Amino acid sequence: MRTPFLPITALIVLLAGCMPPQTPFYWGDYSVSLYNYKKTPDDKTFAEHKQSLIVIITESPNKPLPVPPGIYAEYGYMLILEGKEQEGLEYMDKEVTLYPESRIFVERLKRAFKKGDES
Amino acid sequence: MKKPLTIILALGGIFAGCTQHVTKHEFAPNMYEERPIAILVLPPINKSTAADAKEYYTTTVAEPLTNMGYYVFPMEVVNEVLKQEGLFDTETMFNVPPGKFKEYFGADAVMYVTILEWNTQYLVTSGSVNVKIASELRSTTTGEVLWFYDDRVSVSTTGETGGATGLAGLLVQAVTTAIKTAATDYVPLARQANAKILLALPYGKYNKEYDKDRQMKIEKKKQIGPKEEE
Repeated sequence: MRTPFLPITALIVLLAGCMPPQTPFYWGDYSVSLYNYKKTPDDKTFAEHKQSLIVIITESPNKPLPVPPGIYAEYGYMLILEGKEQEGLEYMDKEVTLYPESRIFVERLKRAFKKGDES
Repeated sequence: MKKPLTIILALGGIFAGCTQHVTKHEFAPNMYEERPIAILVLPPINKSTAADAKEYYTTTVAEPLTNMGYYVFPMEVVNEVLKQEGLFDTETMFNVPPGKFKEYFGADAVMYVTILEWNTQYLVTSGSVNVKIASELRSTTTGEVLWFYDDRVSVSTTGETGGATGLAGLLVQAVTTAIKTAATDYVPLARQANAKILLALPYGKYNKEYDKDRQMKIEKKKQIGPKEEE
């Protein structure tokens, strides 16, 4: 009974060495749902892509990992497209809080939406 | 006197076939000097024959690039802003001084992507699906090229003969090749090409390997991005 134990341990150690290093972000089904949306842009694929953003936002803290760059901003943008402007802008602000390097970009976006409202 | 020349020629031939390796720091010293954080990926220039390549390719960049440790502006939203600025045409965008993207977006660097191949080679009984991408990163502070790389991913779609031999086998193979070639999706290949290209990029601050990869060996590449055509 002792001999098989060692190879198994060795195998586990080897496999652990082969495991891909953990990435700094969790992206869920992002690229798949975005691809589907681009391929067939309709209400269904829009909702599915929005859903994968929600999953990334809710699952990341459980990993525990920060929400990836751009996700809050993209989700906020989708909310604004749906007419939920106030909620959308709140997510834009979350992007800046988490990633200060997005500030200039988000401010420009907000100005663009305000302009859109006036016209 | 003839023999040494032959040997030298043969050696030259062998070396030309070899790939040269360099460290990331030797390949892209300015990346370690400037340390860009926020990268703006512009819509790619499509030099392939596939009209939809540009749109599909953009769905594959943000994930690997952020995982390398960079802040990547959300490309779906960026495209909207670019349109509002009258900059939807990729060719026009290449003539915009990189400094403008610092002003508009707060980007430290701009990534220019060229799709060189996005095609299917199909020769009756054998086939392959190919994707070739070249990327180039330029500083929005100096306008200089900070890094560039390219790679090609190819998958054979040659069908099976199903055990049949002779003409029957060839016919079966022709049919299965046609089916496989039509069904192979480009997007997974584009993801693979990105993964190979971006591993040659120095890690950014959101990756634990940040600044620890100076001595990492990568294959040396020649610049084939958009700049050579200017």
